[in-house]
Amino acid sequence: MKRFINNKWFLLIIRCLIGGLFIYAGAIKIGNPQSFADSIETFKLLPAYLIGIVALGLPPFEVIMGTLLIVGRYKRVAALAILFLSVIFAIAILQGLIRGLPIDCGCLGGGAPSEAKAWISLFRDLLLILASWFLYRREVMNGILLIPRNFF
Amino acid sequence: MKPSIIPCAVWKTTLTRDLILFWIIATSSLCAGLFINQFRDKPLPLVYQSKAERLKQAVSKMASEKAAPPALTGEVLNSNLSLEQFRAFTEGKKGLVLDARPEIFHRLGHVPGALSLSRDDFEKAYAKVKDLLEKDKNQALVLYCATSSCEDSHLVQTALSKLGYTNVAIFTGGWAAWTQANLPEEVNP
Repeated sequence: MKRFINNKWFLLIIRCLIGGLFIYAGAIKIGNPQSFADSIETFKLLPAYLIGIVALGLPPFEVIMGTLLIVGRYKRVAALAILFLSVIFAIAILQGLIRGLPIDCGCLGGGAPSEAKAWISLFRDLLLILASWFLYRREVMNGILLIPRNFF
Repeated sequence: MKPSIIPCAVWKTTLTRDLILFWIIATSSLCAGLFINQFRDKPLPLVYQSKAERLKQAVSKMASEKAAPPALTGEVLNSNLSLEQFRAFTEGKKGLVLDARPEIFHRLGHVPGALSLSRDDFEKAYAKVKDLLEKDKNQALVLYCATSSCEDSHLVQTALSKLGYTNVAIFTGGWAAWTQANLPEEVNP
């Protein structure tokens, strides 16, 4: 099992899947920032003056991080960013579900608010958290081998 | 051999280095997003405006160009129609059916004969159906959106009332109720 999950092709597939998902999600939101801003509003977490900034800044960030993860340049930072974003998304969705808000995740483009879709998005975020944590930890571990022995 | 536990000092230095790069990329992304926004047909305002506020703005702009509404003469519809009432309305061709969902959803499938009057881009959508609507402001109009919980049909109903339409009802079940009942759909290419 350990040998399988450390296989370079398996890691490449994981990186391409997560990176591709983030590039797709970011590109859709860049195309329609108004719909994404409407989705953010349904979470009732941010004040009006921050919604516009998040709706404009987050999509290019997702595209850049997805690209870096696939290309393999700064992949440790990309894995950390995806881990950070997935945790934030999961918390946002969870609080919406607990408060009984009609949330529209907007993760992969806007749509009608739906509780079932929110649970699916939450599950997807939990998978992303696990996968990006695994990638990040692995990259940090690889970094140790590059640190001189007398570092500690 | 690889260590199985990562020492605290390594976590600290790595995380600090990564977070610095993280914030640099995040700031650059925000700048890129703001830059791209300047070149849009309709730039996103930095301070968010709700759907209702946006529609109100569009309507007040349009209403200032309109004449006063005519006196009510036609048959008045109930403000909310059930599936059965709505079905009878469409089959009897008693008036116009308007789809308040975003235009893309209308193209993918809608109630036969329904016209798109999306809340999303009300000004543009209204201009397309203006001639048909303005022929008679007392004609029976029925709006619907995605589900019974969506607000688009209510927002468009308010907008149409402000524009002088006197006989506007809502099919409360929306597209979800229509498709669940396996009723015919129409698709635009």
